[in-house]
Amino acid sequence: MTPNADQRKAMYTSIVRSREFDDRILELYFADKMPVFDLGKGLIPGEIHSSHGHEPCAAGTMIHLRPEDTITASHRPHHQAVCRGLDLSKLAAELMGKKTGYCAGKGGHMHIYSQAHNFSCSGIIAEGMGPAAGVALANKMRKQPGIAVSYMGEAAANQGAFHEVMNMAGIYKLPYICVIEDNNWGVSVNKQASTAVARNSDRASAYGVYGEYVEGNDCDAIFEAMARCVERARGGGGSSILEIQTYRLKGHMLGDTMDYVSKQELQGLKDCVVDYRAKLIADGTMTDTEADAIVAEVKQEVDVAIQFGIDSPYPEPDDAFNGLFAGTSR
Amino acid sequence: MTDVIVPNDMWDDDREGVIVSWLYLSGATVTEEEVLCEVMVEKAQSDLLSPASGVLTIVEEADAIVSRGQVIGRID
Amino acid sequence: MSSERILTVARAGREAVMWEMKNDPSVFMLGEDVFTFGGVFGTADGLGEMFGAERILDTPISETGFIGIATGAAMAGMRPIVELAFIDFIGVCFNAIANLAAKHQYLSNGQVKIPMVLMLGAGGGYNNGAQHSQYLLSTLAHMPGMVIVAPSNAYDAKGLMHSAIRSDDFVVYVGQKKVAGIGLLGSPIKTSMAAVPDEPYTIPFGEARVVQEGTDITFVGVSWTVHQCIQAAERLQKQYGLSVEIIDPRTIVPLDREAIFKSVSKTGRLLVADEDYQDFGFTGEVIAGVVERDPTILKSPPIRVANPNVNIPFSRPMEQRVLPTADRIFEATVALLNL
Repeated sequence: MTPNADQRKAMYTSIVRSREFDDRILELYFADKMPVFDLGKGLIPGEIHSSHGHEPCAAGTMIHLRPEDTITASHRPHHQAVCRGLDLSKLAAELMGKKTGYCAGKGGHMHIYSQAHNFSCSGIIAEGMGPAAGVALANKMRKQPGIAVSYMGEAAANQGAFHEVMNMAGIYKLPYICVIEDNNWGVSVNKQASTAVARNSDRASAYGVYGEYVEGNDCDAIFEAMARCVERARGGGGSSILEIQTYRLKGHMLGDTMDYVSKQELQGLKDCVVDYRAKLIADGTMTDTEADAIVAEVKQEVDVAIQFGIDSPYPEPDDAFNGLFAGTSR
Repeated sequence: MTDVIVPNDMWDDDREGVIVSWLYLSGATVTEEEVLCEVMVEKAQSDLLSPASGVLTIVEEADAIVSRGQVIGRID
Repeated sequence: MSSERILTVARAGREAVMWEMKNDPSVFMLGEDVFTFGGVFGTADGLGEMFGAERILDTPISETGFIGIATGAAMAGMRPIVELAFIDFIGVCFNAIANLAAKHQYLSNGQVKIPMVLMLGAGGGYNNGAQHSQYLLSTLAHMPGMVIVAPSNAYDAKGLMHSAIRSDDFVVYVGQKKVAGIGLLGSPIKTSMAAVPDEPYTIPFGEARVVQEGTDITFVGVSWTVHQCIQAAERLQKQYGLSVEIIDPRTIVPLDREAIFKSVSKTGRLLVADEDYQDFGFTGEVIAGVVERDPTILKSPPIRVANPNVNIPFSRPMEQRVLPTADRIFEATVALLNL
């Protein structure tokens, strides 16, 4: 199933939106943390694991997902949140720890939840797999439509949870897709040094599920591979591991100087947003003018969202004590 | 009046069992088919069901060693 | 159905699970050995036959995996009951419990709820060794985000199980193996058996029970140690005419500090008994709660009777030595009061 022109333009818009959002976050992130770099200072505090370079992994996969599908993401969630359609204003506000954020400031960058989008993310590596598989199990038990997708990095496949959840996904034949974004690095450790096999998608046979690897960090190829996985999941064919070759343009987190990456590798990095634009123009799907218009519109969207975050109030300190327990019962 | 007897098919052989606990005291009103007590043979525990409805009198208390076919209570 | 039944803790808890599963299709159980085997400590006895393999779901030995999966099912609106036979195993899945299930509700600002029950079998005293005999409730109680209940008797076991399943919060239900009353560990503890109504009923979280009233000293116990307190109190009454008040918190998180303080205000003396490791745990928490409110109500130093922070040895004389038995509680009280 190849994407049509509208779908390709939609994917392009998504990756532009994700990139623009991350670029603005990056700019603001560094603006007020100096002179002695202090993670805890400024408008956007804490660690930020930006999605620069990862955008196609979300754009090419999310386009197949419906409102009743569920997504769990990892510590690097921006591209998934943006491509899922989360409100950029509430997203920005949450990153800034404002009361108007998705979680009223309780979660922050690694704990973005939007129940309206069936979206959550979690900072412990591979931790999103269990809940996604659990939603898939619940949907299957209740005979409701809706598949579940978890997103994580390639190094996360070395966590025990990966083994346990994939095995259960295999036994229970769950409508679940494990998307792995292979950027070749687990913080500072290269994949060759951390993983005994070349591709995690090859591990699929160990769990009785399907595995597929997509090269090139290209929206179109990812679209096609995900279409197969989604059809399998919706049709009762069970789980898949979809591993996507990608790369991180800004290292593990903002501020990572990437000293552990060879100069050769750094020089060889390509920009997927630039490349996809060129591809769509070259094959006549889009003109330069259309592309520029998309970029301009997205910039405005992001401006509004960022300003909303900046203008929003902080929560009261005592708000920390609210909401530990729901206190309700059936 | 109905005897409460350890069923012959509660376990397979001539081993002895033990009454682990009664769910009722003597004098309680019980209903047919409900669990009266728990009987254990080695590691296996079984529920003993009431043969009738009525007022229970316990003949063998908890911790008593019992055989299959033994009368352990009465229902009037 | 008769209403004069006296049940064991295990049977009472199971009754609640059965009723909830019959009446609410969103309730299901998952864990190791639940379907055919009925759970290692009888928690699921007979449920497999009644509800089938899909609702009484046998899992592989994958605690991190299935607690994560249960969390997801709960997020999707089901009410899973996870059966984790030994609390000692929280070591392999602590992240799933503490960072996942216990945090999602708060971090999402209430957008997602985790209406999940985690049943744990805890405690020892039957020579099962250091890795299968721990109590460990305090390790979980230390972390925010989970309600924790520890019933000591059948009446509380059923009511708290109904409350746990119906609650929209993540509830940890700690069953003590000897208190369960299953035949594998000898005769059930007499004081753990209780008259249990046929109909469902709930017990509110955070509400302690006064087991017996007294004037000379307050004993606070948890689950198994409630019964040790009862036995020690009986001896103290007979031998020295001592009047002991016993408080059973029933819920550990949130703890009914008011009930404990009220009792110690009356008696002026406090002894806390806990099967868990003593240091940095429940006994210290109870005492701190009283002292920080008003240390002047205490006529003598508070006493802790717990495992003195040693790994639990296998051999009987050693294992019995480290347990907070009725004898230890008795002797500690005699020493405190110079009886």
